[in-house]
Amino acid sequence: MSNFAPSTITELKEALQTALAENTTLSVQATATKSGLGAPVSCDATLDLSGLQGIISYEPEELIITAHAATPLASIETALSEKHQMLAFEPPHISTLYNTSHDGTIGGLLATNLSGSRRVSAGAARDYLLGFDAVSGRGEIFRSGSKVMKNVTGYDLSKLMCGSFGTLAVMDEVTIKVLPAPETSQTLIIGCATLEQAGKAARHALQTAYEPSAVAILPKGSHPLSQSMVCTLIRLEGVAVSVADRQSHLSEILGSYGMTDIMDSAPSQALWQSLSDGAPVADKGNQIWRVSCAPTAGPALLQNIQSHCECAAYFDWAGGLLWLATDDKEAHRHIRQALHALGGGHATLMRADEELRRTIPVFEPQDPALAALNKRVQNSFDPHGILNPGRL
Amino acid sequence: MQMPKADQMILDRRHMIVAGLKRIVPAHCVLDDDSSMKAYDTDGLSAYRQMPLVVVLPETTAQVAAVLKWCRDEGVKIVPRGAGTSLSGGAIPLADGVLLGLGKFNQIIDIDYENRCVVTQPGVTNLGITHAVQDEGFYYAPDPSSQIACSIGGNIAENSGGVHCLKYGLTTNNVLGIEIVTMDGDILRLGGKHLDAGALDLLGLMTGSEGLLGVVTEVTVRILRKPATQRAMLVGFDTAQEAGQAVSNVIAAGIIPAGMEMMDAPAINAAEDFVGAGYPRDAAALLIVELDGPEVEVNFLLERVGDIVKSSGATSVRLSHSEEERNQFWAGRKSAFPAVGRISPDYLCMDGTIPRKALPEMLTRMAMMSQKYGLRVANVFHAGDGNLHPLILFDANQPGELERAEEFGNDILRNCVQLGGVLTGEHGVGIEKRDLMPEMFSDEDLRQQQRVKCAFDPNHLLNPGKVFPVLHRCAELGRMHVHKGEVPHPDLPRF
Repeated sequence: MSNFAPSTITELKEALQTALAENTTLSVQATATKSGLGAPVSCDATLDLSGLQGIISYEPEELIITAHAATPLASIETALSEKHQMLAFEPPHISTLYNTSHDGTIGGLLATNLSGSRRVSAGAARDYLLGFDAVSGRGEIFRSGSKVMKNVTGYDLSKLMCGSFGTLAVMDEVTIKVLPAPETSQTLIIGCATLEQAGKAARHALQTAYEPSAVAILPKGSHPLSQSMVCTLIRLEGVAVSVADRQSHLSEILGSYGMTDIMDSAPSQALWQSLSDGAPVADKGNQIWRVSCAPTAGPALLQNIQSHCECAAYFDWAGGLLWLATDDKEAHRHIRQALHALGGGHATLMRADEELRRTIPVFEPQDPALAALNKRVQNSFDPHGILNPGRL
Repeated sequence: MQMPKADQMILDRRHMIVAGLKRIVPAHCVLDDDSSMKAYDTDGLSAYRQMPLVVVLPETTAQVAAVLKWCRDEGVKIVPRGAGTSLSGGAIPLADGVLLGLGKFNQIIDIDYENRCVVTQPGVTNLGITHAVQDEGFYYAPDPSSQIACSIGGNIAENSGGVHCLKYGLTTNNVLGIEIVTMDGDILRLGGKHLDAGALDLLGLMTGSEGLLGVVTEVTVRILRKPATQRAMLVGFDTAQEAGQAVSNVIAAGIIPAGMEMMDAPAINAAEDFVGAGYPRDAAALLIVELDGPEVEVNFLLERVGDIVKSSGATSVRLSHSEEERNQFWAGRKSAFPAVGRISPDYLCMDGTIPRKALPEMLTRMAMMSQKYGLRVANVFHAGDGNLHPLILFDANQPGELERAEEFGNDILRNCVQLGGVLTGEHGVGIEKRDLMPEMFSDEDLRQQQRVKCAFDPNHLLNPGKVFPVLHRCAELGRMHVHKGEVPHPDLPRF
């Protein structure tokens, strides 16, 4: 079966129409760096999007960048940093987790809706996609959204595209809101006696007016920083005078939870990138899980899971995101049962061998009525199921 | 504005429908006499009025589900309604439709400071959420101008904005979860106290869907700690161009103010006549720049902003030194609509967004259109995010003026789209901008949106006549023309 490599949206449309006519299912990819994420798919052909790349326009003072979907994430981040701007949702650099040579493309990042540590204060990838054009699984070109920041005209299909894993439509142009990068940052480290205490400190930090941009919790022994204590990490970003002021206030307020220490800008940046990437658990087990829950549920969730299976773990999002590594084949049961018992959320198997991803649900199972609605929405874009069938 | 023609068969069955609904919900929840229904015959777009078939005010989610399922089975249309403040006619009733009011869903369910969220019924007002948490120092960020009256459920439907969107986002960026009832009567939970979806982001899709996809029966929103300090700067300019450039320069310097509002000379003078906020009457454009956050940061950045606006050509700069002064700076902007109401018998409030750099061009075009239509216009502008609110002044008692004002408004919105912008930044499409949708979207764009609608409501029973100018039957939208075994593009390069 022939593969497709369109280099314009017209060729993309022709490729999809041909695939429809020939009943061909397509594996949608550019760098294929995230092929280990999602349920494994076996498709008749590959739709290689690497021809759809390049930044189309970037207007820093409008806070907007437009690029073709297969533009490398690294190219976007370089262009933005030259103008002291950033993707505020702090994209994970997934080469750490998947041992790839490349961090993938902007389209792949949006399709998987991956966000890093700043998610808790600045929002997710889905909050920054302003508009796109695409070819649906029906082989038709359509667009949604716009190139302006404030728009409520028609359904917000950008939200649907983010996290759809390429199962609805294939994006070409994407327009993304960007933000100024902080001038400096510092991390406040609080050594706590217990995970509960560390969780309280983390949530307390977010309840103050001192605007932490990220808050993580490192269980004892999970990281070089937390060899003897559980550590709560609180990142402050902004202009130097503000960061220093907020840091001193927070140190005082949170001093009651334990000893405090400060990490400066450069090591702080490296630390948070590694936390966004899942690096602290990347080599601690074959399976990597990412579990989203209410922040208050986080510590109990981990203790519950650990009572059933051996794992290494840490928290981002003030306890609302559990990164977990394990080799236990039954871990999915323990994780999902514990999550269900503690108020719900969703557990995603970020990395595992193909066999395991084929046999257990990679994404959180849904109740039947919601699953049926998801399916109908998917069918409204791709009625013949030609795009990444079964991946989501 | 034409609404879909009322179905005579439904009108003829009115008694049976009312009786049927009274079997599903308690009789006191059904209003079917004209005097009670009168309160529901319009919304914030009050030039349009329509009595509904019947009004139902359910008290429980189970009742909402039962009403929707019954209406689906009976082929009866539904118009959901929160507080009825939509400026685009999103809650305008249908003669052959049940008006489903969520006003009795007025309780806050859970205030959870540790997880920084509030779980509430949808009929609670936007400001009601802030009032419930302000004693602990928290607030709910999106602040549409109707926040004292508009309901949080309506905010979800419209993806409401406000003056602080640049920094804090629209409703969609501040909602964590919802419970919805579908037209099938299914009760579904999307999101919750955790972040992000583990599947398709139906929460993001529902937000801003204008009541066409489902009825929201519970909402979980993010609350934030109130900033330690808020200070505002009032800046006058000789030209709108300089003011626009100043806004760009502030953002290019890496500063995201909590709000940046612009007013033009007619709006400045109307506001000054009305409240005497101390605005410079000789300025062609006025900026209000507000910063919030830790005190040292606000003071530090305001100094930078002051330097930037001065080098951008500011003719006057004033800084608020007290909460009273800050409120005074805002008083003129916040009363801009009633102030304009004072100098004109009627006005239309438009709501387009343009790329900020297109502002001078847009204002030039607007002045030309004002001449062409013979109607005055005053402009207030969420300058940070490019959201424009031209107020078109007219007198509805003069024959033909409403129509002329509407045509003027349509022309403004067409120009917004031509300049790379959109038809609506925060008010929604509703019926007001429905027929302009083809200005911004191709047939296929609109068909794909309607296919999504079909996934929720295949018979177009939920809020029909809103958003989409043409209602295609779902079967027709779903049809695909695929030639089996016939390759449409034999010349396509393949490998």
